[in-house]
Amino acid sequence: MNAKDIIKMNNEKREQLSEKNKAYYEDMLTYIRLNTTKSEQQTEEVLLELLDHLLEADAQGKTAKDVFGEDLQAYCNELLTEIPGEKVLKNIYFISFLILDLLAILALFQGIVGYGLYTLFDIGTNSLSFPLGSGLLIGIIDLLLIAFWVVIILKWLKGSTFQKKKQNKWIEFLQLWLICSVFIGLSLVAFMFMPDFGITVNIHHLMIAGSGLILYLIKMFINKRFRVTT
Amino acid sequence: MSQRSQLLKGILEGCILAVIKMEPTYGYELSMKLKDFGLSDVSEGSIYPILLRLQKEKLIVGEMKSSESGPKRKYYHLTEEGIKALQAFIYHWESIKQPVDSIIEKGRE
Repeated sequence: MNAKDIIKMNNEKREQLSEKNKAYYEDMLTYIRLNTTKSEQQTEEVLLELLDHLLEADAQGKTAKDVFGEDLQAYCNELLTEIPGEKVLKNIYFISFLILDLLAILALFQGIVGYGLYTLFDIGTNSLSFPLGSGLLIGIIDLLLIAFWVVIILKWLKGSTFQKKKQNKWIEFLQLWLICSVFIGLSLVAFMFMPDFGITVNIHHLMIAGSGLILYLIKMFINKRFRVTT
Repeated sequence: MSQRSQLLKGILEGCILAVIKMEPTYGYELSMKLKDFGLSDVSEGSIYPILLRLQKEKLIVGEMKSSESGPKRKYYHLTEEGIKALQAFIYHWESIKQPVDSIIEKGRE
């Protein structure tokens, strides 16, 4: 059974839990799923087992702490040490898929906006021109920044589960705002201070939008065929 | 860790293999069977890390199958390796159980 189908089943079954156990279980679920280096299949299989068990216990008036022990976080850590890691090849495929997705959307957006601005408002030219060397380097720096940002956000999320006291919403908002601002700032710095090098290339806006569309269709096909996110 | 759970840790693994050998079993059912055999204060959740470990060591295999009562569950069965591991566990257990029993018996007198 595919991990995506198990997730769907989990989403439906979870609704049957009592409010208290649902809160406990969702903390465990979030905490375990945030470990993105673990095998998705194994992770989802064990999460469904825990849910099935908790549903039976719930019907007898027991709580998650009666079943999995007082310290739920320690229990999750124990499980995590036993869940095998994801295969390297699968990780590479997944990251390539994400990059493809990002490129497709960026190209579509860049092409359509550039073309619209030029034809409707006479702003800019009918093509995008940039020095190839610095353009590629900025792209790589941005990808690394995004990867780093994702890692930090996942860490932040992991730290926010199993909290005894509910954190102030504004403090959480400020923390996330700060993290995001730093990364957006850093990518702007890379863009502004990068010296021009490499040959200058000119690509028509419609060409960019067209390749964005093609990349997007490829991405949709891959997602459907290999069930990356659905 | 309590003395009891220290003692149980290794033994539980063998017991789980033995229960799965009787017939393919899913998680909740397994914990109920252990309870029925009298291992009543084993924390129910403690079987799942062990099941993961036994899968990693390829002693058991889990398959999602429809159960009689309807919903799909992950049923475990032993592999060839698992059967060998169970035999080894039984052998070790027998060789410990006998002497430990007589030592304790002697101590009581």
